[in-house]
Amino acid sequence: MLDPSVMPELLAAFLVQQQPTWRNVKVSSYEVMTGGYSRLLAKAVVEHDEGSVVVVLRGDPPADKILIHTDRAQEWELLQALSQHGVRTPTARHFDASGEHLGTTALVIDFSQATSFLPYVAGGGSIEGLNERLAEALASYHAIPLESLPARFERPTSWDAYLSTRIDEWRRTADQHIEDLPVLRYMAGWLDTHRPVEVPLTLMHGDFQSANLMITADGHFEMLDWELASIGDPREDMGYFKAVAQAAPPDLLDEAGCEAFCARYRALTGLNELQVNPAVVAYFLVLGVVGTVRRLLEGGADYAHGTNHLMASLFNLNAVQFGQSMWLSTADALGPVLEQLAAIASAHHTEGNHV
Amino acid sequence: MLSRPTTEQILRGIADELRDTVAPEVQSEPVKVLLGQIDQILRGMATRAAHEIAWIHDEADAISAVTGVEVGWPASLHLDDVVAWYDSVSRVLSGALDEAFEAGDTARVSELKVLLDARSANEMRIVGALDLVGRG
Repeated sequence: MLDPSVMPELLAAFLVQQQPTWRNVKVSSYEVMTGGYSRLLAKAVVEHDEGSVVVVLRGDPPADKILIHTDRAQEWELLQALSQHGVRTPTARHFDASGEHLGTTALVIDFSQATSFLPYVAGGGSIEGLNERLAEALASYHAIPLESLPARFERPTSWDAYLSTRIDEWRRTADQHIEDLPVLRYMAGWLDTHRPVEVPLTLMHGDFQSANLMITADGHFEMLDWELASIGDPREDMGYFKAVAQAAPPDLLDEAGCEAFCARYRALTGLNELQVNPAVVAYFLVLGVVGTVRRLLEGGADYAHGTNHLMASLFNLNAVQFGQSMWLSTADALGPVLEQLAAIASAHHTEGNHV
Repeated sequence: MLSRPTTEQILRGIADELRDTVAPEVQSEPVKVLLGQIDQILRGMATRAAHEIAWIHDEADAISAVTGVEVGWPASLHLDDVVAWYDSVSRVLSGALDEAFEAGDTARVSELKVLLDARSANEMRIVGALDLVGRG
């Protein structure tokens, strides 16, 4: 997929097969893109007698270059479901499941005409009101009924069991890493003693961060890169966004923006103030990153074992260390607030009220 | 053995050359991203080379003092031996944290967390200003 000398021909042949109504298909431009840490990306301009399209190829790297193992077939099925439910994300058009046509298992997706969020901000674009647009983006896919999602997604048995599994993932990550990391055990203990109020499980993006967001011409967010999607607590996406924004600003969920974000999200989803509030978002700032942390640590461990030689695996360890400092300071600031919220929820529960 | 320039100085020098001399000549976007990552990695390694063994010993002393566990010494000051010993010292802290949470002993948890904060402070000296180069 990275060889521009052969890919135009391969892609054209694939599209001829996929689009029988297109005549004289020709790939007039093919360029490798940056921005995807885990998958190969390329942009192609495809011309045919009926018109032209710009597409993105998103494929698996060679086995010895894979940073994170994810399932393209699941991503393909999910993208179909997202399109059916009107979620703002580029439409996936074709899938080479075996890789026999495009040289690797790959999706062919519409090229987004929207602007990448981080360059938009760097170029002086206004972020006013984007915290509420962010709530709308999250609510748009959190609202998809679970039965509409691909059958291959794992369905947790309950919220409580799900949260326990996520917290235990910190301990499992600690147990499996190449060296002992006490901070992981601390965070597991802290998360366990500060559990938030339950919410219904939903689709989670799994890598909901600024780098995976685009701004459309009408000022809405479009979302990219669903490879880490799963079913879980929707607030994990909020916390994850906030976590990454600490290293890659702007943080739309900062002190000034988080309350309005939460209010908009509650209005769209019907959740209450004990379920979605800035303190709970910050709780998930810690919990929501565990999957990524595990994968990044695995990359570092593989490098130490000599089973991969990816510079990205080393580089990503910086993000883990940055994250650790953030989790520790969050635990200090947040503990008393979460204890107060738990007391209120408990009082409501005792009085027989729903929370 | 020639010890000067130090490993720290050499690694920073390599990073400077890559940033100031090599990077401007590179046209490929993926290679530019790679150089940006290498720059940050090299600067972190320079700090580690300068302080790693001392920081590990300082931390071990502190863990021993707070947990009351005698953590011993590494087999030698060669890095592999120090790192293996550091792993055993870390396990002492992890075990103490698990016990404190299990017992619901918040005061003890707070005492132990001070050790984690100190470790994290050193790690942030290594990381410096994190730049997620290539994202977005």
